[in-house]
Amino acid sequence: MTDMTVRMAVPAIGSRVRISGPRLLSAGLWTVYLLVIGAWLLFPILLVVVASLQGKLEVSWPLSHLNLDAYRAIPSGYWQSFWFTIRVSIVASCCSLLISLPAAWAMVRGRLWERRLISSLVLLPEIVPQLILGIALLTIFIPLGLSNSFGGVVLALIALNLAMGLRFGEALLEGLPEEYELAAESLGASKLAALRLIVLPLIAPGLAIAALFVFMQNLIAFVLLFFIAGPSATPISIRLFTDIVDRGVVPEAVAMSAMLVYVALIFYAIVALALGPKYMAGALMSRKG
Amino acid sequence: MSGVTTIDPSSARHSGIPPRDGTVARLRRRRERLFYRLCALPALSITLLVAAIPLALLIVQSLRDQETGAWTPSYYVRSLGNRFFTHTLLTTIAMAFGVTAISIMAAFPLAYLMARKSRLRTVLMPVVTVPRMLPFVVVGYAMILLLAPITGVLNRVLVQLGLLQHPLFILFGWPGQALAFTYSAIVVAAGILTGVLISVDPQLEDAAISLGASRLRSFFVVTLPLSTPGIIAASALIFTTVVTAYAIPVMLSGRVPYMISVVIATDLLTLQETHLAFAQAVLVSLLAVGVTAGAQLLLSRYGRR
Repeated sequence: MTDMTVRMAVPAIGSRVRISGPRLLSAGLWTVYLLVIGAWLLFPILLVVVASLQGKLEVSWPLSHLNLDAYRAIPSGYWQSFWFTIRVSIVASCCSLLISLPAAWAMVRGRLWERRLISSLVLLPEIVPQLILGIALLTIFIPLGLSNSFGGVVLALIALNLAMGLRFGEALLEGLPEEYELAAESLGASKLAALRLIVLPLIAPGLAIAALFVFMQNLIAFVLLFFIAGPSATPISIRLFTDIVDRGVVPEAVAMSAMLVYVALIFYAIVALALGPKYMAGALMSRKG
Repeated sequence: MSGVTTIDPSSARHSGIPPRDGTVARLRRRRERLFYRLCALPALSITLLVAAIPLALLIVQSLRDQETGAWTPSYYVRSLGNRFFTHTLLTTIAMAFGVTAISIMAAFPLAYLMARKSRLRTVLMPVVTVPRMLPFVVVGYAMILLLAPITGVLNRVLVQLGLLQHPLFILFGWPGQALAFTYSAIVVAAGILTGVLISVDPQLEDAAISLGASRLRSFFVVTLPLSTPGIIAASALIFTTVVTAYAIPVMLSGRVPYMISVVIATDLLTLQETHLAFAQAVLVSLLAVGVTAGAQLLLSRYGRR
């Protein structure tokens, strides 16, 4: 008990001693900076949520007449696009992880001379701008009948996700000593059994995080899918975009945007609980719109 | 090869044949390599079919005449000779450059605070991560609610306070687009820079201060040089993202397109000049890939030093 009071008292004394003119000024500047940048980052998102709850295109103060009218008015087409996006994202994320993990394993453990060639080829969709990849896909998807279809959208997303999956997978496997697998093999396990029984359980937590990030990348993909999407295969980001171009800003679209904000919040909560916020910094390295 | 032969005896014991000058080992190694290649094959073939071959076809088609199919560089010549195209390309580059510079400068102190104060990091992490998980379209809607000429919150507040006589018409033009890009870019920069600054040991700064440097000087002499790799990586990512962004330039467009992606999409979808659009797309991706490759080169140089 006394130990704790002492420990609490020490920083208090220290801070009282340290306060001086320049220090106070710099602390003040830091506070102002933090408030400004925090407001700049939070206020626009807050506006979307408030406007969706007021059901109007302008936010009025004081906050009154909060209602869910705009949410009820969301047309069924939006919901179709929303669930289409979720379905596509789940399918593409699962497929790409199933495909990229063995590839990452081969890259890290295989001692193949062509390793650099293969991995830089798989990383190609991340290096080439999505705009150009989207246009290129359009030109081959139209003759194949894949544009404006579930399969085409999934294929495009998988190509993009493989790059991210390979990066995550390589990083995870580099951190795992090869001796574990060799030990299993020397005891008679086949390579695949070693992968299933030793490697997968050890990297499962990291793999879950990778899956979440790949999933999120698919939810917000826009430029890549813009050219190959069509009336029967429209992700929600493209539906909201074409609507604003055709009809201008409507309250239902703001409500749907707010839904996407909630999805991002839930997603953040899941990752933060699973991972602890301090590792989030470098994890989301690539973000292209 | 010697490393492989030491692993080998187990397999030899299984098959009951004593190892004969490494032939079994060589066979085993070959089988292993084949197995690993098979593991990489699905990923490789999908990337080839869905990314590499379409991109190669795009380049080939951009070099062929749309009607006759004859080989011609005319689409590139036409694009680069077109004043409208080059002007838009230059405004795009200027926009991307400005957004990159401003957002890195604005995000750096934030990233520094988040890297050094762990309690503050817990509070600020959702602030810089959640916007990153939103499609650009949602950012566009947020900017419209904030900045729209008559109904936007900012304009109404400023007019009511008497600071403005007339509402500002900045949203549907380059200032509005720049603000929307900067919004997204600050978030990206803050994320990457925080990751890099966490890995810079704070004891190095303390050492500089204990040797008599001021806090500001220790920042410029120690912290900034050590975080340069992060700055390069974040700049390259933001620059290429802005150069090829499409949603915000169209949502917040004025009468004149400022961004090259709008020109390309118009050529492709509206004017049906597909091969011209392909050539322009190749030119823009050359720019983007060039910037990324340049950044990689700089990073590897930096790492060696």
